[in-house]
Amino acid sequence: MLRIADLALSYGATPVLGGVSMEVEDGEFVSLVGPSGSGKSTILRAIIGLQAPAAGKVELTIAPREIGFLFQDDALLPWRRAAENVALGLRLRGMATKPALERAEEWLARMGLEGLGARYPRELSGGQRKRVALAQVLALEPQLLLMDEPFSALDAITRARLSQDLLRFIEARRMSVLLVTHDLEEALALSDVVYLLSRGPKARIAGQYPVPIARPRDVIKARANPEFGPLLERVWQNLSSEIGGAAQSEAAWGEYSIGL
Amino acid sequence: MGRIFDRPLTRQLAGLAVFLAVWEWAARSGYLNPLYIPAPSKIGAVLVTLFSAGTIWPHLGATFGAALGGLFVGLVVGTVLGAAAAMVPVIAELLEPVMILLNAVPRVVLAPLFVIWLGIGLASKIALAFILVAVLVFFTVFTGIRQVDRRLVERVITLGGGRATLLREVYMPSVTAWLLGNLKVAVGFAFTGAVVGEFVAATKGLGYLLSFAQSTYNAALMLALVFLIMLFVLLIFALSERLEKRLTRWRG
Repeated sequence: MLRIADLALSYGATPVLGGVSMEVEDGEFVSLVGPSGSGKSTILRAIIGLQAPAAGKVELTIAPREIGFLFQDDALLPWRRAAENVALGLRLRGMATKPALERAEEWLARMGLEGLGARYPRELSGGQRKRVALAQVLALEPQLLLMDEPFSALDAITRARLSQDLLRFIEARRMSVLLVTHDLEEALALSDVVYLLSRGPKARIAGQYPVPIARPRDVIKARANPEFGPLLERVWQNLSSEIGGAAQSEAAWGEYSIGL
Repeated sequence: MGRIFDRPLTRQLAGLAVFLAVWEWAARSGYLNPLYIPAPSKIGAVLVTLFSAGTIWPHLGATFGAALGGLFVGLVVGTVLGAAAAMVPVIAELLEPVMILLNAVPRVVLAPLFVIWLGIGLASKIALAFILVAVLVFFTVFTGIRQVDRRLVERVITLGGGRATLLREVYMPSVTAWLLGNLKVAVGFAFTGAVVGEFVAATKGLGYLLSFAQSTYNAALMLALVFLIMLFVLLIFALSERLEKRLTRWRG
């Protein structure tokens, strides 16, 4: 599905990525974790073409338009109603306005937003806006879904419910996913493989961990799986040693939630 | 009885009534010189005469024509220049200093110049209203486009949108919102331009009537005109506010 080879990238004179290589197989759920500012989001942006790499390759077995990108924030077009926001992508793929709006309403219903299509974004809650953004991306039925910390702004309950809904959907469609997150537990609960990105500048892949938990999964019950605790501990220890020193690790990994 | 005074509007109207009553009493009992401050009833009588005799209409027409003409041309030219400057760096380099200079002058001082260039007719008034509005609109559109939400731009690109889609779905609505937010200011500027232009040199218009009232020491006419201009600008404010509300319902 996706193969990244020796991807290097700089913002001006500041090197960000120093040769990142990773893969997402067909139908695989891959997560990428790393310290804030290490360049996780930059990798996603390079895949979708919002950022030009200095070196290395991004190889896709699908056309770029088959990629769905879910951003960290839920910035919808504020002057468009929820259904119009969802319909925009469909219309850009040549669908007429009326069928596109009907399809949009179907997707909103599937996301649990039945009858809210006529609302403007400001009339929706944060969780609802996130669901609209999800419907907007999923309505295009992407083969590869790129997600940039999609749930970070949500409260814990909304977050658990939304990620469960999304996971069910992804498993049913055998969609390939690359998720960027700073939540190690979330990454392990959702993914088939977790990649670790080292601290920048010149970040690179510091580890790759398969998650041997069967699918379909429940994002809460997965954490109770006997494999989960030891794996989390192992990844965490590798993280700490990768960064070097307890004090430093606390500073660099301060945002991580570790439920040991 | 006391319930009526619970509403701010009632209290404000009551305050106004008391103020006018005191003013009227003071004028009638000779505490105020009627040459400088005529009684409210005198001012009201002047207003009634202006309308009943029909003398006011050509003047109102002239002022409105100049203000709305300048407003329209100013909106169009300001928008085009602002958009061009925001999208083409060279145009921004050339235009921005000019606009900053124009912005630095109180633009009403250009009024006599426009009279020399364009004569004492309508054109010089439209020009003054235009220059006031155009500079404001230029900066509104220029910064509006530059400060467009980058996240929305990226979102539309990842959904498969090109330049035309970006313009239609992101830039135009976002600039329209900015413009509508400044519409009231623009309307005020347009009327300032028209009236000041007429005040400097004209043969008709509310500004001309004002300068006529000044030269004949007619304080009642002057105050009546000030009241009239206030009323019309408030009316247009209300209209533009409704337009803004209507077009930006998404903002709530």
